[in-house]
Amino acid sequence: MVALSQSAPPRTSDEPSHLAIEDLGFQRNGKWLFRHLTWRVPRGSIIAIVGPSGVGKSSLLSCLAGLVKPTEGKLTFCCNAGCFHDAPDYQKRVGIIFQNFLLAQNSSLLRNVTAGRLGRYPWWRTLIHMPRADKLEAVRLLIDLGLGDYVHRRAADISGGEQQRAAIARALFQEPELLLADEPVSNLDAYLCGRVLGILRQQAHEQKRTVMCVLHDAALVERFADYAISLDPMSPENWRVRKVNAAAA
Amino acid sequence: MAETKTIAQPRPPEPDLEAAVSLPWHHRLNVLNVSLVVFLLMVLSSAGVLRGSGRDLDYFANTKRFLGNFFPPDFSVAGQTMIGLWETFQMAVMATAFAIILSIPIAIAGARTLSPAWLVFLARMLMNGIRTIPSLIWALIAVAVVGPNTLAGVIGLTFYSIGYLGKFFSDAFESVDVDVAKALRALGARTIQAFQYGLWPHAKPLVWSYSLWMLEYNIRSAAIIGYVGAGGVGLQLYTYQEYYQWNKFATVLLFILALVSILDFLGERIRKQIVPKAVGRQS
Repeated sequence: MVALSQSAPPRTSDEPSHLAIEDLGFQRNGKWLFRHLTWRVPRGSIIAIVGPSGVGKSSLLSCLAGLVKPTEGKLTFCCNAGCFHDAPDYQKRVGIIFQNFLLAQNSSLLRNVTAGRLGRYPWWRTLIHMPRADKLEAVRLLIDLGLGDYVHRRAADISGGEQQRAAIARALFQEPELLLADEPVSNLDAYLCGRVLGILRQQAHEQKRTVMCVLHDAALVERFADYAISLDPMSPENWRVRKVNAAAA
Repeated sequence: MAETKTIAQPRPPEPDLEAAVSLPWHHRLNVLNVSLVVFLLMVLSSAGVLRGSGRDLDYFANTKRFLGNFFPPDFSVAGQTMIGLWETFQMAVMATAFAIILSIPIAIAGARTLSPAWLVFLARMLMNGIRTIPSLIWALIAVAVVGPNTLAGVIGLTFYSIGYLGKFFSDAFESVDVDVAKALRALGARTIQAFQYGLWPHAKPLVWSYSLWMLEYNIRSAAIIGYVGAGGVGLQLYTYQEYYQWNKFATVLLFILALVSILDFLGERIRKQIVPKAVGRQS
């Protein structure tokens, strides 16, 4: 693995950056979680955000998603059309897999997953139901994620691991340019971990979607990530970005 | 051999158990106890209303004589009563439907989790104001506007129901976790879509449960508002009362009792089935 310098973010002419993070810093309750974070996130890569609990991984993800305003610094998103957008204007192009899933518990998995594409349609088009083509695609995705038997079941009636996969399906169904995932495999067994991260990796490399996810398991980071950002609980300025071996695979 | 000495330890002072077991009277002055005492004082000061007319009346004999007029009920008016009851039922259904539609936007405006404080204040004031006026008065106003017919009944009951359903729906929306709707907003959904797909599925069982309750309530109310000319079986009740036809009056009451009992039974069974689904809150 190759550790990258903090002061010199990687820039290559053949790999246009998807998200430019410049001097980003976030303070919570008077304490800096990270500071001077500067990196040009390569398009179509899978990036693991690592560090001990409470270090600010989820806060970093929220800043990147445009859900939280960073205390300092700037984020510039370069969309697939080549236009530049500042935070939070690019929010609609971002898919998020929330740590606590945030599924509508009283709705079916199909309805939850299709909700990922609500932003594509005016409100009156989705008032009765989502377009049939979207429903068929959502069912296919649910089957891919092993949830084919639960398409019409309420989210409240399935297990935590199944809900997590449904949340992943919703985010994937959105077809975002940037996918942010907060511990997307925390409730899954080894087989499903591999399957889900494999899908995310495939999405990143084949569809040129940049995936940034909080991961705790070092082995998974080495196996699936292209880059890893690690945050230091002792020193908010001591963040590190390193290239992971998996990138060569 | 060393000589052992027993040193007498000073005895701790004996605790004052009497003082410990009793609580000073002013420590009991919480809202519950004070309001209870105030209520008891109100009861005592209101005893005057139990004086009655002051005449020497045989209440038991009066009751027996009056209720005796009800029996046997005159079922010759059953057909007419069925028609009146059907009209009453239709009035209640229409009024409940209109009230549901009109209450939802008012309830959204009145939900603290969904609307700004100034709008919540205005919406709640509006709902409180509507609730203050009894259904009979709403019906009287409607009769004055559209004349003595079933439309007046529908209008009167609609307004009356908005006050209650608006409040119930507001509470239902407030009891639902808004994080799912916020998550959908973050995923690009518009506000209406986030409400429909993120919040409504949780609130729907509660909203429907309250609506069924309102329907039951409106059927009872619809039977009464006919007294002021707003149509339905109430008009029949008024006529029989005016002409002292108490056995026909009894028939109408029996039919109302049967309808309300059936609806109570069905409504309760449906509510029992749907309300547990409302407990699908995020952890």
